Amino acid sequence: MHTTYYIQAVGLDGFINKLKKQFRVFAPLEKAQERQKEKDYAYRQLNGETGICFNPYRAIEPLKEFFTYPQETVCSYFEQDKKGTVPSNTTDGIALRGQSPDMIIFGVKACDIAAHKVQDFVFLEGVEVDSSYRIRRQNTIIISGDCTDFKRVCHCLAWEILPHPTEGFDLNLSPLNDGYLVDVGSLKGEELIGQYKDYFVPAKDTQLSARRKKRENLIDRLKRHLLPQNLVPRNRVQSLMKEGYNLDTWKEFMRTCVECGGCNFICDTCHCFLLSEKKEEYINKKIRTWDSCLYANYARVAGGANPLRSRAQRLRNRFMKKFDFFVDNLGMPACCGCGRCIEVCPGKIDIREVLKDLASKLQK
Amino acid sequence: MKNIYRPIEATIEDIVVETPNIKTFVLKAKEDFSFRTGQFIELAFPGVGEAPFTPSSDPNIKDKIDVTIMNVGRVTSLLHGVSKGIPVGIRGPFGKGYPLEKFYGKDILIVGGGVGLAPLRSLLFSLFAEIDKYNRVILRYGSRTPKDIVYKAAIPEWAKRKKVDVVTTVDVGDPEWKGNVGLVTTILKDLSLDLKNAVAIVCGPPIMMKFVVLKLIDLGFAHADIYLSMEKNMSCGLGKCGHCRVGKFYACKDGPVFTFDQLQGIHDIWD
Repeated sequence: MHTTYYIQAVGLDGFINKLKKQFRVFAPLEKAQERQKEKDYAYRQLNGETGICFNPYRAIEPLKEFFTYPQETVCSYFEQDKKGTVPSNTTDGIALRGQSPDMIIFGVKACDIAAHKVQDFVFLEGVEVDSSYRIRRQNTIIISGDCTDFKRVCHCLAWEILPHPTEGFDLNLSPLNDGYLVDVGSLKGEELIGQYKDYFVPAKDTQLSARRKKRENLIDRLKRHLLPQNLVPRNRVQSLMKEGYNLDTWKEFMRTCVECGGCNFICDTCHCFLLSEKKEEYINKKIRTWDSCLYANYARVAGGANPLRSRAQRLRNRFMKKFDFFVDNLGMPACCGCGRCIEVCPGKIDIREVLKDLASKLQK
Repeated sequence: MKNIYRPIEATIEDIVVETPNIKTFVLKAKEDFSFRTGQFIELAFPGVGEAPFTPSSDPNIKDKIDVTIMNVGRVTSLLHGVSKGIPVGIRGPFGKGYPLEKFYGKDILIVGGGVGLAPLRSLLFSLFAEIDKYNRVILRYGSRTPKDIVYKAAIPEWAKRKKVDVVTTVDVGDPEWKGNVGLVTTILKDLSLDLKNAVAIVCGPPIMMKFVVLKLIDLGFAHADIYLSMEKNMSCGLGKCGHCRVGKFYACKDGPVFTFDQLQGIHDIWD
C-alpha cells in the first residue's frame, strides 16, 4: 500500500475545499512574523475561503493536542440527583461521535509522526486501551508533508529520524514543481483518494527521482547545520543516562528552570497526566490534566514523602524517562528532535546541551 | 467501548477503628469486583479525590473488600471523617499482586511494618486458605508503639494456626507492653529457615524495607526471593499517567510487588 500520485497545486486547493465540506480540517497557518525571528506556523481550523499554505517545517504546537487535551473530563459518574434519578443529558466524557473519520490534520511532519509512536504506545498499548484517545485517533486523517526547510532548533537526524515521513500517515505530500507528490500510507488515505480521484494522476518515475534528489538535498543541508553542533548520537544516549546519573550537569542546568512545565506541555512525546475529582451539583467528574515532571509535587505521596524532592532530581527524571525508560520499553528515545522544548524554555535550557554536557563530563 | 477511568460504585458497609489514625473500611461493590492478593485499587471519594490502596481482606471473599487506611493525606483524612453508608468509587484491580504459585512448598517469611501489614493481611488470608500448599508461614511485625498495632485481636489468633509462627515488636513500649521492644530487624533472628526453599515478603515504610532487605541479604536470602511493595503516587493505575516510574517499570502495572532482583541497578528506590 505505497502508491504515489501527483496533484497540481490548484488541484490541491480544490481538493481541500471539498474536504472542508466533509471534515473539520486543521492546518498550520503562517503567524505574523516577529522581528529577527523565524517564521512560525500554528494550527488553525480552515473555514470559508482559507486555504492551506505548505508549511516548510513543523507547527509550533505538538500534534498530541488533537488527541489528549490539556484538561478534560474523562468521565462523569454516579450521576444521580437526590431522588435517585439519572439525568439523561450526561455523557461519558468520550463524545458520542461516529466511528468514521471527521477530522483532517494537514502539515504534520516526520518528527510529529515519530513522537506519536510514543503517544500511541502509552494510550493504545499496555494493560488497557484509552478509549477516548483511540476514538480520536481513529477518526482523524493525517495528511503529512515533507520538510522543505528546518528551524534552527531542529535536530531530527540526531535521533535517526528523516525530515520526510515514511510511515504513520494516511497521505503524505511532497512539494514538486507546481504541485505535490502524494503518498498513500493507509486504507483511510486510499479511500480519500478514491473518493476524489479526479484530482490525482499516478506519479511518473521522473517525478519520483526528482523528489529523491530534493529530499537528499534537504538532508545534506540539515546535516551541515547539525555537524558543528556535535550532537550526542542515538546509540550513546541510554548509556549516558546510566553513567551520568550522579554528575553535576543536572544541578547546573536546573539553575535557570522556573518550573513552568512548558517543556513538557509543548513536547510531543510527554504524556504524563494527573487525575482529579470535581463535583458539579450532583455529578462527580473525573478530570484529566496534563502534568509536568518538573513540578515540585509531581512525585509526592500522601504523608509528604517525595522521591523527586530536589530540582536536579526532577530534571534528571525527565531525561531518564526519555532516554532510558523509553529505550527499554519502546526501543526508541522519547525525543523526536523537534526542538519545541528549546524554543519554549524561558530558562534557556537546551536538551541538546544537557546531553552534550553529560558526554563531555564523562569524557574527561 | 470501556472507559478505563470510570469507577464502579461501592458502599462503606462498616468502619473498624484499628489505631488512633488507622481505620479499616469494609466496602461492598454494586457490581462484580474481585482482586488477587497484592493488587491495588484506586478508591475515590466521589467528586473530591482518589488515592491508591491495597485491599487487606481475603480475596476469596467476593462480596466485600476491606481497605485499611492511615490518616496521612487529603483523601485519607476525608475518609476518616465519614460514617458508614456513604458511596465511594473503586477502580481496578491494578498491578500484578503476589505470585502465590511461586511460594508453594516454601517457607514464607512475611515482614510487616506499621500499616504495611494491611496488604500482608490479605496475603496471610490467601495463604491460610491453602495452607497445605506451603511449608511454613513466619510473620514478623513491627509497629511504632503498642497503640499503633493494627489487627490487634486477629494477630494472636493467627499465631495459634498450624504451620504459622508470629512474633511482634514495637519501636517504643509503654508501661503495659510486655512484648519485644526494638526495630523489626531485631526479631529477624532464630528463624531456622531453609534458605534454599524460602521467600521473604516485605511491606512497610521505605526506610523499614531498606533495613529489612539489608538484614535479609545478611541472612543469606537470594535477591530474587525477596518481594517488596513499591508504593508510589499511582494516579491512573494503568501505566499511562507516568507518575509511578521505577526505573524501566511502572509500579502500577509491573508491580506494586517487585523482587529485589528486579530493582537491581535502579537508583534511589528507597526515596
